[in-house]
Amino acid sequence: MRRGLAIGMIIVGIALMVISYFGLAAPWGADSVANSDPRLQFAPLLFVLGVMMAFGSALVYEMLPDKSGPK
Amino acid sequence: MATATYESGLPRGVGRLTRGWVLFVIAMAAVCGLGWYAYVREYTEGMTITGMRNVGTMGGATWGLYITFVVYFIGVSFAGIAVAVVIRLFNLEKLRPLARMAEVLTVVSLLLGAIAIVADLGQPFRGIINLFRYARPQSPFFGTFTMVIAGYLFASLVYLWLTSRRDAALLAKQESRMRWLHRFVAAGYTDTPVERERHSRATFWLAICILPMLVVAHSTLGFVFGLQVGRPGWYSALQAPAFVVLAGVSGTGLLIVLAAIVRKMLNRDVGLNTYVFGWLGRFMMVLLIVYVYFMVTELATATYAGSERELQVTREMLRGEYSWIFWTSVALLVLPLASLLFQAIKRNWSVPWLIVSGIAVNLGAIGKRYLIAVPSQTHGQLLPYNDGSYTPSWIEFAVVASLMAFGALIIGVFMKVLPIVELEPEEEVVSHA
Repeated sequence: MRRGLAIGMIIVGIALMVISYFGLAAPWGADSVANSDPRLQFAPLLFVLGVMMAFGSALVYEMLPDKSGPK
Repeated sequence: MATATYESGLPRGVGRLTRGWVLFVIAMAAVCGLGWYAYVREYTEGMTITGMRNVGTMGGATWGLYITFVVYFIGVSFAGIAVAVVIRLFNLEKLRPLARMAEVLTVVSLLLGAIAIVADLGQPFRGIINLFRYARPQSPFFGTFTMVIAGYLFASLVYLWLTSRRDAALLAKQESRMRWLHRFVAAGYTDTPVERERHSRATFWLAICILPMLVVAHSTLGFVFGLQVGRPGWYSALQAPAFVVLAGVSGTGLLIVLAAIVRKMLNRDVGLNTYVFGWLGRFMMVLLIVYVYFMVTELATATYAGSERELQVTREMLRGEYSWIFWTSVALLVLPLASLLFQAIKRNWSVPWLIVSGIAVNLGAIGKRYLIAVPSQTHGQLLPYNDGSYTPSWIEFAVVASLMAFGALIIGVFMKVLPIVELEPEEEVVSHA
């Protein structure tokens, strides 16, 4: 459970980073003014949340008790 | 196994408020107050109260003392977390007393770097909201904010918390006014073999992830300058690696100074011996050699075959308006290098000389950061503008001084809440009762 949740956070965090960076922020390689705005507003915030979620998984992994509790 | 006990209170000076410490806190708080007053004036009266002006049309610099210190503070963080992570990854037991203070130094310096960016923005709230709303991933600024501020600071905080839990759990065993706080930081940690194993695995992987991010984050900050093709003096492939190396130099220097202060304050053997200082001295020496090599290469390239504007910026640094800062910075980097080489050859490390070197390289690094930021704006015009100038106002000096005081204050308070030097595995805190 604990390990699964931590791995899940890493996967979701990385997915958030990749999707927001390449799919939701301003398009890569397009340098015209028309393309300077992100495709979804606050996409950079999603990227930041993804970074935090990935690193936050360490907290979950270490601090969440095991099913049977600490031995 | 020997068990050290602390009959006269918590270990490492935790919770012990001496008169000197209280005076230190009052002095730092006073400087912070002055900085806050200066910043409120800047916020209400506008950036015109600072020495910064538009580049070109107003003959000034829009990036001044604040950006100089953003780069400096973030640079200091590099060595902190690098040293801490290397100690844990390679199990360098003799250097373990440095780990906690290196982690604290990283968190504090990153925090100060973030605040310095806010101080540089005329309308900080507008700036921060729009950054999260509209930032372009192609821009190095995006990388700086996301990698440095979000990723790096958050990861360092997580790392510091996880590595502090064991000590907090040990301190929570003893009756004290801060027991509730130690219990909170320990967050249920009881130091069982299972928890130790889990902690070791978590911090190992965290350290593995932090190291490459560290290099990417600092390189990105270098790219903020190095990728600007229209700004002579900035556009260079060496900017990013030179940023990383000078970051290591200044951070290690500050770590030496902090370790010396801690050793003096704790007034007992906490493992901060000549071996530890010698290791830091060697580390700083190697980084300094690499940085001096970069500096000479950069200068040789710019002066041998630089463009007209590139040459002008370099001339201003070598014999013009900025020459006193340049040559003072060079002296503050080269003389400590000579001192470190001498000590390395003699195989005899002198802590006082290492402290002097640590302070000197930090002053030199601040000078170099200033020279990276300012001269290219005042003398690196590709458009037909006259040369400009930049002199920081007292507002900027007060804000920067308050940032330093704030950093010292956080470290000072941390030392009274948690051990700044990790408790040894065999150490255990016992109750008076």
